[in-house]
Amino acid sequence: MKFKNAAVVGAVALTAALALAGCSATSTPSASTTPTADAGVTYKVDPTLTGTLTAGGSSAQANAQTAWTAAFKAQATGVTINYDKSQGSGGGVTNWLAGSYDFAGTDSSLNPTQVTSAQTTCGAGGGLDIPAYLSGVAIIYNLAGVSNLKLSSATIASIFELKITTWNDPAIAADNAGVTLPATPITVVTRSDGSGTTANFTKYLKDTQPSIFTQANGTAWPVPGTSGQQGGAGVVNTVTAGAGTIGYADNSSIGSVTAAQVQVGTSKKFVAYSQTGATNAFEAAATAAPTGTGDLSETLDYSKITNTDSYPIPLLSYVVACTTFKDAAQAKLTKAYLSFILSDVGQKVASVNAGSAPLPTSILKEAVKSLALIK
Amino acid sequence: MTAIVGSKASTPRSGNPGPIPNSLTTGQLPKLVELYVGVGALLVVGGVMLLLGFNVGGWIFLSIILYLVALGVLSSIAENRRKATDRVVRSLVVIAFLLALAPLVSTLITVIYKGIGELTPDFITKTGGAAFDPATLKVTITAGALQAILGTLIITGIAALMSIPIGILTSIYLVEYAKPSSWMARAVTFLVDVMTGIPSIVAGLFAFSLFTIIVGPKAFSGFSASVALSVLMIPIVVRSCEEMLRLVPHDLREASFALGVSRFSTIVKIVLPTAIAGIITGVMLAIARVIGETAPIFVAASFTDNLNVNPFFGPMQTLPVLAYTGYKFPGQDIAASVASSWGAALLLVIIVVILNIIARIVARAFAPKGAR
Amino acid sequence: MKARPADRIFFGFSFGSAALIMVILAAVALFLIIRAMPAIVANWQTNSLLTTGPTAGFSSFWAYVGPLLFGTLWVSLIALIIGAPIAIGIALFISHYAPRRLAGILGYLVDLLAAVPSIVFGLWGIIVIRPLLLPLTQWLNDHLGFIPLFAGQASNTGSTILAGSVVLAVMILPIISSISREIFLQTPRLHEEAALALGATRWEMIRMAVLPYARSGVVSATLLGLGRALGETMAIALIISPSIGVSFKILTDGSNAQTIAANLALNFPESNDLQRSALIGSGLMLFVVSLAVNFIARWIVSRSTPGRPKRQRKDGRSAVPSNATSRVDAVALGGASVSGALEGEYE
Repeated sequence: MKFKNAAVVGAVALTAALALAGCSATSTPSASTTPTADAGVTYKVDPTLTGTLTAGGSSAQANAQTAWTAAFKAQATGVTINYDKSQGSGGGVTNWLAGSYDFAGTDSSLNPTQVTSAQTTCGAGGGLDIPAYLSGVAIIYNLAGVSNLKLSSATIASIFELKITTWNDPAIAADNAGVTLPATPITVVTRSDGSGTTANFTKYLKDTQPSIFTQANGTAWPVPGTSGQQGGAGVVNTVTAGAGTIGYADNSSIGSVTAAQVQVGTSKKFVAYSQTGATNAFEAAATAAPTGTGDLSETLDYSKITNTDSYPIPLLSYVVACTTFKDAAQAKLTKAYLSFILSDVGQKVASVNAGSAPLPTSILKEAVKSLALIK
Repeated sequence: MTAIVGSKASTPRSGNPGPIPNSLTTGQLPKLVELYVGVGALLVVGGVMLLLGFNVGGWIFLSIILYLVALGVLSSIAENRRKATDRVVRSLVVIAFLLALAPLVSTLITVIYKGIGELTPDFITKTGGAAFDPATLKVTITAGALQAILGTLIITGIAALMSIPIGILTSIYLVEYAKPSSWMARAVTFLVDVMTGIPSIVAGLFAFSLFTIIVGPKAFSGFSASVALSVLMIPIVVRSCEEMLRLVPHDLREASFALGVSRFSTIVKIVLPTAIAGIITGVMLAIARVIGETAPIFVAASFTDNLNVNPFFGPMQTLPVLAYTGYKFPGQDIAASVASSWGAALLLVIIVVILNIIARIVARAFAPKGAR
Repeated sequence: MKARPADRIFFGFSFGSAALIMVILAAVALFLIIRAMPAIVANWQTNSLLTTGPTAGFSSFWAYVGPLLFGTLWVSLIALIIGAPIAIGIALFISHYAPRRLAGILGYLVDLLAAVPSIVFGLWGIIVIRPLLLPLTQWLNDHLGFIPLFAGQASNTGSTILAGSVVLAVMILPIISSISREIFLQTPRLHEEAALALGATRWEMIRMAVLPYARSGVVSATLLGLGRALGETMAIALIISPSIGVSFKILTDGSNAQTIAANLALNFPESNDLQRSALIGSGLMLFVVSLAVNFIARWIVSRSTPGRPKRQRKDGRSAVPSNATSRVDAVALGGASVSGALEGEYE
């Protein structure tokens, strides 16, 4: 992470309880780069706000958005927020570009075509991608008698490329010394619908094991021959109901299914998902790739995640909004809501209620600067 | 049936020196022969399978085959070919029915069993909400379906109000007015045929695009969802009503015309009442088909957890959307989300049942008196 | 006959409705064509918007929709093969075999099932049908695996074409059977009674009097069912594990054909503009399918129905005098037949 902590945040007083909670969010130990004497990002919601926000997009953010909406409305009772999670990232951005949404949630930042059309929708300033939600992709499995599976990135890639077909394959055995593995055939469960989870997961496979995972990465699962299921819930249900099944899903929605520990980089260390792990991984993997002034697009290179305090498959999702709104009242409202979700408290609310990882403070400080551009 | 039937009459022509044969009942299998053969088939197949390895599906399946063959053979020997065919077909029809009943009953039981626990007064009469506790930052979600119930009734109601008159009038035009060869009748029939296979999401996209042209980009509204549902509903209404109107005997119309009754009165007083039960069935099928749609609703009416009763502005929620999102995008408490999903599904079924009952009462009121 | 004002107004209304339908439906078709065009003419090998995501790996629009068309027809066909005979059987049972009182309840129960939304059928398929069919899947694959239909790696999860088709068959049952039932009940009572009086067995009566009369209507009902099957989205999207390709296997996870509607719903949310065009284009193809299917069916009806050579000709054979007469006849027969011939009033 190259962000400087230069942003001076308007020290707006929060209610005592919120401030306390906010501090506890920032005090999460992050071993790598962030200086510890960091003042967090606080934001006080104006209780007199009124109006309706219409938004939608990424379903990965759905639970976080529900929590943010509830928390925001609790502080500004005159506001109604409709976040349509059924649209998906593509639907969210399309509707936002058409002017139907005040902001959109999306799992991938705007592509060059969309950046151009954003200038038509939002004026010369274009749109702003701002990271808002950080979680991890969990590798979930259901194998009788095996409760703490460890998988190296090469093994994961081989399994999902369907090159390993039984659970007692030497490659899996090598990752799990001392564990008796049954000869059950492996059933690989993937997403049949387009999804940001698939995009992040295939990017991880591509970055870490390009020689094994030869298919294209993207929102659609590329390897034919797997069992495709609709939605994260479909994957989780099918993995739970099956025998010898393995799949991937956003960690915040896996419920009580067992998740494998994943090898970090090329080390011999296997880690389970943790919120701190995802935050650390994000700091290690992300490189800013702005498409315009104030844009906070990030490129994740999963092969850079080598530190053993990180979870190797983070999942990032953005909110996008216009720099210039046609309607000043909507601008004010959108800005207030996004400022809230990109504050320490906002991130904490999501991590408590949606299992997400708080974004690094440095990103939140950049976000404050970007949000200041909205008018 | 006389006493001879009660005796072991499987071979009544074998010269059994019993009572004097009754010429009306000889050559007939006993009344409950289907039952005997059925039980026999189940026992035989069950016995064989116990030796070879048992499995319920195979048992029932093979028993059915054996039963049909045995019944056919028995009846062609004891009775005749025609009766054998009759018995086999009757059995096939009953088996088809029982076969169909299993999944149908299973679906209903699943919906009721999974949904009934969720149907608390609060779920029905309150809007779903979320309470935020600033001390712990914990958001507690309370399930509620009022916004979805009202949304379903409003959106489907408007769609029905638009589609039913248009659909019935069009089928009247096709059957009663248009010459079969006229280009108009052909074009309408052609388009209706094409539209029966429209993917529902496409109807939603069409309605939403239409409304973005009319009211600008923020076009999400219950009304645009109604238009989408109408596009789906109209072909079904036209198709089924057309079929029902054609079945009205032509003699009735001719009798009416012969008495000097106008075409309008003939249609309204004779044709429609005669066909009303069929028309109502068709209309209810059409409503049932669209009331459960999800894709066009969230394309055209977006999604909200808030109560909105204004069909012309802002996102609306419906019960199928609530059921779908509860399953596909569960909250942190997955079990609770799925439960509210089933609750919404059960509510939807209940609403359709109520609509059905109302429709039947209406049909009864308009049906010709002689048929009661 | 003189046209009276009421007549003219009523004609105006019904003509207007027909015209309105034409406008609406033509507008939908036009909308689809306009939205689909960019993807149909795009170069699928070089356009970076199409070489990723759901459209990756297809050389042209036609290479993409071809297998989808096949999948749609394939899944619907299997569903129809399973569902239509059973549905017609139910309709016959209710109209001609079941005791009258029972028939009312049964008819209502079947109608009720038309009311179950497809999302519920999808969920039901996942929790009930998928596990239920697993042993059968394994058995068919083990013993009859030499037939291409049952070949391949048998599914371990149950997300097969077979499971999807069974659920689809259950979904189209109520549609086909309630319309068929109404039509069977409309059979002229005199025809039925004449047949019975000549000593026909019940089946012969149905074959000679009921089926010829009802054929056109039953075909229409089946088509409405097929229409639902072709356009069904959510249940298939939830149950079948798809891969876009031409495959006749019905017991696998990894090589199932995919339907247009399910593919559209699954991939639409995350797609970019051009991919959306491609998906809408595939929806356009569904129109072509519906049209072809309807056309074939109309042709079958007009060829095989001696009494109704053209759909539009008013049927001369249905010489039912009036409701009252047929009621009397029904009563005279000791209530053996379902009465209320013209109403289907079985409640």
